[in-house]
Amino acid sequence: MPSSSGLFKKADGRDKLHNGLEPAYLAPVHIIRPNRNIWQRLADIWHHRELLMFLIRKEVHLRYSNSVLGLAWSMLNPALTLAIYWIVFEKVLRNGIPNFVVFLFAGILVWNLFSTSVLGATGTLVANSGIVKKVAFPREILAIASVGAASVLFFFQALVVAIGLIILNSGPAWGYLPLIPLAIVVLLVFSTALGIFLSAVNVYFRDTQHLVEVMMLALFWAEPIVYPYKSVAAIFANHPSLFWLKWIYLANPLAGVVLAFQRFLYAHVNAINTVTHQPMAILPTRTISSYAELLGIVLVVCIALLIGAIGVFAKLAGNLAEEL
Amino acid sequence: MNSDVTIEISNLSKRFRLYHEKYTSFRERFVHAGKIPYEEFWALKDIDIQVKTGETLGLLGRNGSGKTTLLKCMASILLPTTGEIAIRGKVAALLELGAGFQPELSGRDNIFLNGSLLGLSRKEIVKRFDEIVAFSELEQFIDNQVKYYSSGMYMRLGFAVAVHVEPELLLIDEVLAVGDESFQLKCLSKIEQFQKEGRTIVFVTHAPDLAKKICNRAVILEHGTVAIDDDISQATKVFRKDILHTKEADED
Repeated sequence: MPSSSGLFKKADGRDKLHNGLEPAYLAPVHIIRPNRNIWQRLADIWHHRELLMFLIRKEVHLRYSNSVLGLAWSMLNPALTLAIYWIVFEKVLRNGIPNFVVFLFAGILVWNLFSTSVLGATGTLVANSGIVKKVAFPREILAIASVGAASVLFFFQALVVAIGLIILNSGPAWGYLPLIPLAIVVLLVFSTALGIFLSAVNVYFRDTQHLVEVMMLALFWAEPIVYPYKSVAAIFANHPSLFWLKWIYLANPLAGVVLAFQRFLYAHVNAINTVTHQPMAILPTRTISSYAELLGIVLVVCIALLIGAIGVFAKLAGNLAEEL
Repeated sequence: MNSDVTIEISNLSKRFRLYHEKYTSFRERFVHAGKIPYEEFWALKDIDIQVKTGETLGLLGRNGSGKTTLLKCMASILLPTTGEIAIRGKVAALLELGAGFQPELSGRDNIFLNGSLLGLSRKEIVKRFDEIVAFSELEQFIDNQVKYYSSGMYMRLGFAVAVHVEPELLLIDEVLAVGDESFQLKCLSKIEQFQKEGRTIVFVTHAPDLAKKICNRAVILEHGTVAIDDDISQATKVFRKDILHTKEADED
């Protein structure tokens, strides 16, 4: 047993009792009420930010634990995927878009962060029911940690894409680089909002998890990831009565993020079709400020969604421990 | 709230919904829309308790009397349905030793994760790390994955982390009933140390003898309400006679 003499000394120089405890009347009082409002919850989350870091580390660590290559998989996996897509789309399935693999990966980078975050967050409260039932901490942290762990993997994937760009000798449009941090913020806020909302709903309706998996497939094809935005824009242009569909398409926060990534990484707005040798439009011919404007609007919407998600979570949080 | 009070529970009630069958899928919810059969069950009704700083309160009662629910409300794991609880200072709740341990992580990583879950900052954990390891007597195994630990080692590590949170209020739920005798003695001596330091403890048990050893006051719950709130020897006597209908083990 260690000597207990040094055990309860505190580093700061505040008023102490002889036993090392702060005088009781100095300790802050907290009140447990049936409901905590959104601002109290946000303060709680901020207060537990170190716990968030530990949970992110845990998630990343567990993903690759017991594998020989460990964290190297987080780079090997996208590298191999990139190689496979290169063989398929440059040699076999030529769709006419030059350097299609770069185009594809600009979108997939965004998509992987989003889908890994949301799918992870949806199941996280149920998967961690052991601690939700026995330990008090703001439960939103678990969903945020899923987004955090996905961000770590995103970082490694982005490194692989950067190396891929060098190997394929494809230079990005450096002038559009300032869009990327903004796009990442939009992506993180949107993923967190959906993740927090779905994590709580999944406790009450366990089907949510399966439903989300199907919705993800639909959402994937609703983004201009595999096909260029201009090909859907052409459909909207040919059918003026469908103009409202264009706004629904762009109202989806991910579309703006994907377009920004493509504008920076893929760089070509127009290109010569490699099969038909005709000129083709790929990305919207907009200025950087017009892209930034779209992302700015989307960011405001996403922040509103996040506040709404925490509000819903707050309503459901009181019964989480007993529903699990 | 007076300055010498650590816990003030006012008018606290907690309602549970007991579903006859739990419908958690969309299909079942849809089929049974609006008429999901459940009964309302008040696990706690109008509880008013005040605990002075430095007191060790025993929460006694039979199974299902609501003592663990009350403890979980104090720990803010469950939120009350009505009423409120005011608590002064930091709380550490020991509902299960090693709750949240990750079997795939090492003992070292688990100390950080668990300490952080219990509200310690990274700096505080680094500062207390050696003491935690020494208290758990796991120096040799601290870098092994926790899945290789025996259940005794697991509990020692869990208790070691929890008591080093240095809370103003410690909530304990029967965790001392486990472990071998030397571990129990160690836990008891740690609790004594806490008492000497003037910390407040709430201890849930259904064993009056253990409560008598540790507590100086007892609240006895019966069907979710406070049946008795008295000093420990008086309370356990009445508890045995009127509720458990057993004889005092050590008549003194």
